[in-house]
Amino acid sequence: MIKEFTKGFIKENPVFVMALGLCPTLAVSSSVMNAIGMGLAATFVLVCSNIMISLIKNFVPNKIHIPAYIVVIASFVTIVDMVMEAYVPALHKSLGLFIPLIVVNCIILGRAEAFAGKNNVFKSMLDGLGMGLGFTLALSVIATIREILGAGQFLGMQVLPTSYKPMLVAILAPGAFIVMGLLMGAMKLKKKK
Amino acid sequence: MEFIGKIFVMAIAAIFVQNFVLMRFLGLCPYIGVSKKLDSAIGMGMAVIFVMTMASTFTWLIQSYLLIPLKLEFLQTIAFILTIASLVQLVEMIIQKLAPALYKALGVYLPLITTNCAVLGVAILNINENYSFIEAILNGLFGGVGFTLVLILMAGIREKLEKAELPRAMKGMPIAMIVAGSMALAFLGFSGLKL
Amino acid sequence: MSYFLKLGFVLLVITVIASGILAYVNSLTEPIILENQRKAKAEARLEVLPEAATFDSIGTFNAENVFAGKDADGNLVGYVFLASLYGYSSDVKSMVGVNKDLIVNKIKVISQTETPGLGANCIKPEFQAQFSDKGLGEMKVNKDGGPIISITGATITTRTITNSIKNGLLELEKLIPAEAETSEEVTK
Repeated sequence: MIKEFTKGFIKENPVFVMALGLCPTLAVSSSVMNAIGMGLAATFVLVCSNIMISLIKNFVPNKIHIPAYIVVIASFVTIVDMVMEAYVPALHKSLGLFIPLIVVNCIILGRAEAFAGKNNVFKSMLDGLGMGLGFTLALSVIATIREILGAGQFLGMQVLPTSYKPMLVAILAPGAFIVMGLLMGAMKLKKKK
Repeated sequence: MEFIGKIFVMAIAAIFVQNFVLMRFLGLCPYIGVSKKLDSAIGMGMAVIFVMTMASTFTWLIQSYLLIPLKLEFLQTIAFILTIASLVQLVEMIIQKLAPALYKALGVYLPLITTNCAVLGVAILNINENYSFIEAILNGLFGGVGFTLVLILMAGIREKLEKAELPRAMKGMPIAMIVAGSMALAFLGFSGLKL
Repeated sequence: MSYFLKLGFVLLVITVIASGILAYVNSLTEPIILENQRKAKAEARLEVLPEAATFDSIGTFNAENVFAGKDADGNLVGYVFLASLYGYSSDVKSMVGVNKDLIVNKIKVISQTETPGLGANCIKPEFQAQFSDKGLGEMKVNKDGGPIISITGATITTRTITNSIKNGLLELEKLIPAEAETSEEVTK
């Protein structure tokens, strides 16, 4: 039971190991705040849609699995979108386009199809929570590296002495790819041993 | 003449300055996943250009003539993703009937496109940026061209990388990311371009 | 055939339920969102022109009202408008307060999603402060020979904000003559 929950952290980490959900990972990891916001939003959608899908899986004929799942996911994404706009407008603005794009995040549809469509409600919920937190963890790691290198800050607070000249490229698009590539390499190296 | 100039500006902006993959981070999964071979990169690219243009057209019409008049803007995400999914199905069926050769080339990529965030991304961007109907179509078309361009470039590089001697841990995905980073760095050069 | 009807029916039911739930959530959140936006704007107006007690609309600019700010006794103290232009990757909107002689009192960037670490530094108070006490003629970035010192690595964002304020001031000049006459009549 615990394994369903913790496998998403390292062993089956959706980002580093399975290379899913790359677009939001790279796009919103320029600051730790954005990364955590995005991670939690996606976790909420993952947990809710996993629960919902494992509840309805027996009523939905095989042929229309995917469209039905997409509708369920899109509804939860829209709810997150509206609630965030109402209560955390600043974060909603800086995540912008990538909130509605949670719909096409392959992690969510992937888990729905591979796990929630086959397992019971409780297990699906744990799976969603674990995967979601694994996603959040991966995002935060990348964002921490990028924010510290690129702005000398962590969560908006200055952590490096102001005499440090920020390595701007880390915060721009190329930095996202390069940090991601190096981290993936490091994960692979660890696995080999 | 002015119209042609405008098209040119939009093309440069969508293909280079705001490249969907390298600058906006849209469509990364196929960019990394389908760029191992040049042939498949070209096939995927063509399919994406086609679907992005169609999706821009239809989602714009749905937003302007269905969702806004009925005050149903909050259904945007559901409506768009369903439109794209059915569009992809429809395109698949039509191509299969009318152009079997083309279907053979593109067929395997079409189902993958539904979850390509560049497609849903361009549809939502068109609405967020208040584009007119023509601008939306052009944005979809040139966005797709920009995607195809970097996909093909990437595939070309990766075919060569196959033969390169690399540390074992960096092979495959990690080195692809680093290469993408270098390409993004090169594309950053376009960003000073103010049109 | 009936199998396909069943497929369609199941999908329809799911979609209808989903739409119903979304409509309900939307009805809950929409008023909050609108209220937030209204409040944010009202607060920003007061921040850039603190002497004013009331704000009266004198026209529109960028599809937003331009306000004449008056103190408690009804004397004109300045104007407030929303400057907006497309920057590096987003619309950069700032609330601008100017005094009676069209010299900028204070600006506040209220909405932007520029690159973090670069353009996004435009929300820093040190950057915004340099617009204070400057008029139309001084709305130029240092790269173009003006007094506004641009953010490191983000000339486009700086230029955008500067130009948006310049456009606003030009528009304000056009709007004011009518306003000035009417206020003169009142004093007579």
